[in-house]
Amino acid sequence: MSSARFVIKPESLVEPRLALADLQQFVEHEVALLDEQRFEEWLNLFADDGAYWVPAKPGQESPFNHVSLFYDDKHTLTIRVQRLRHPAIHSQIPRSKTVRLVANFKLESHDADPSLYRVISKFVMLEDRPGSARRLFGGRYTHVLRRKSGGLEIVLKRVDLTNCDRSFPALTQPF
Amino acid sequence: MTPYTNEYLRSLVRDDRVHRSIYTDPQIFELEMEKIFSRVWLYVGHDSQIPNPGDFYCTWVARQPVVMTRDLDGKVHVLFNRCGHRGARVLNEECGNARVFTCMYHGWSFRPNGELSGVPMRRDFQEATLKDPQSGMARLPRTENYRGFVFTSLNPGVPPLREYLGEAQCGIDELIDRSPEGEIEFWAGCHRYEYNGNWKLQFDNMADMYHPPACHASTVGPDGRQFSRRPGNRGASAPFFATNGEPIVAQTGVRGFSNGHSSEASLFREEQTGGIWDDYRALMVQRYGEERTADILKNRRHSMALFPSVDILIAQTSVRVIRPISVDKTEVQVYPVRLKGAPPEISIEIVRFVNITHAAASLIQSDDLEAFERGQQGLMASGTDWVLVARGFGQESDEGNGALFGDRSSEVGQRAQHYAWRDLMSAA
Repeated sequence: MSSARFVIKPESLVEPRLALADLQQFVEHEVALLDEQRFEEWLNLFADDGAYWVPAKPGQESPFNHVSLFYDDKHTLTIRVQRLRHPAIHSQIPRSKTVRLVANFKLESHDADPSLYRVISKFVMLEDRPGSARRLFGGRYTHVLRRKSGGLEIVLKRVDLTNCDRSFPALTQPF
Repeated sequence: MTPYTNEYLRSLVRDDRVHRSIYTDPQIFELEMEKIFSRVWLYVGHDSQIPNPGDFYCTWVARQPVVMTRDLDGKVHVLFNRCGHRGARVLNEECGNARVFTCMYHGWSFRPNGELSGVPMRRDFQEATLKDPQSGMARLPRTENYRGFVFTSLNPGVPPLREYLGEAQCGIDELIDRSPEGEIEFWAGCHRYEYNGNWKLQFDNMADMYHPPACHASTVGPDGRQFSRRPGNRGASAPFFATNGEPIVAQTGVRGFSNGHSSEASLFREEQTGGIWDDYRALMVQRYGEERTADILKNRRHSMALFPSVDILIAQTSVRVIRPISVDKTEVQVYPVRLKGAPPEISIEIVRFVNITHAAASLIQSDDLEAFERGQQGLMASGTDWVLVARGFGQESDEGNGALFGDRSSEVGQRAQHYAWRDLMSAA
């Protein structure tokens, strides 16, 4: 037999690029974890260099020269999740319940780094807490996701609320 | 509604307790707008928010729409944001720049100093009517600028700002002194949070060193340290408990000043060090010398609240503005401040930390807002009419010039605020 039949083409060693459907599934899983208050598992979706960012200004370009509703690196996000579990977190006694709808997924052009995906989607979120008025939030999610063995990790989740520049009551739930 | 007499209003504040109705009665709220907010100095903004000619910043004082402007000659004015013709609000965006401000309704236009500029089809008005200052965007009766902090008053006879601030003026100096150039800048927007509660609940809280162990229990880790409230190495996070088991914050002292101002002593015992903090220190020593630098960076004071409108958050290098909306609704803004001449990374770190401490999603502030709302709800109960401000009562030391010091999370600061409230509300 000719050994040429067993030449392995380099392309087959490269994993195929993920389809939008795979990325959509990841994001839907991510928000389901939040709906179910499975905060530790949600935190684990973030890369060590990951960040969670909710700008306070429409079209905000940087979290470093303007305030943000949330700008958490993984360290701060870890503290935030620990606090949400603290028995004496008064602003969550009683706890809120939330539901998020996410739709209109779009894959933006790939970053120079082929292991990154930028996924845009629209969302609406309801939050209800006994004793408080129902809250409604909505806007756009931008997820920058990185391939890693076994799946994906979040490098950046950016939430652009339609009303990000209004004044808010106490916020405890990540969007 | 029967009008309240001055004697009745005076009776609502006793030495160590205040009547709950001062938080819940809409009629008292209306009287506050008249007898407090229309009579004293109110903070409007910082002049760094309007750096260029034609810049404007719109806000509200005593529920009235006002605008702080920089005229084409560089002067700062505070005007009523109100067209001289039929009274519409002229400027509808929070900030911007324009050489003339044009009213949407009939097209009247005004210069940044409030003078009437253009009137469509002008000759059909009598000139005398148009020349009257009331046809412009009227200026507030008094405006003063202390080191960039612009205050205004609806009361033409108000004593000078320096007199009103008294000893508490140093709170502004202590913030600005942290800049190696002796200048600060509002550069990064502001946090905006709100709560269903009276404005005085926020003011009470700004002099409160007693609440953190219980209220902010959720911020203390199992190692007994609160997570870092400010950047840097040493001096960034504060141990929560002293060796005798008492929370350190509750051992800290408070001051009350004349006219209702109050300050909290510092939570932090050590200077911030490491990396850019060492560079910053070197710059400070260049300007102030070693001794003065050590004094400034000791952060003796956590904050200074200037009754009834603004809180200088010295240790957190930001400024908090309190806006009463109604008897049970309040909005607050928190502006991180840039220290001119300091390494830029320092000002960026301040922005990141104020996100954690004072955003609506703050790990700390959200529990305060919960306390305010539960406060407003609890005060509807008629079981007792009195709200205690009794901690440390009778144990104050008089420091002279109207300043009283109370150790160990005394409520002397709240008492100062309420006594000032009483004096203003019961005045003729």
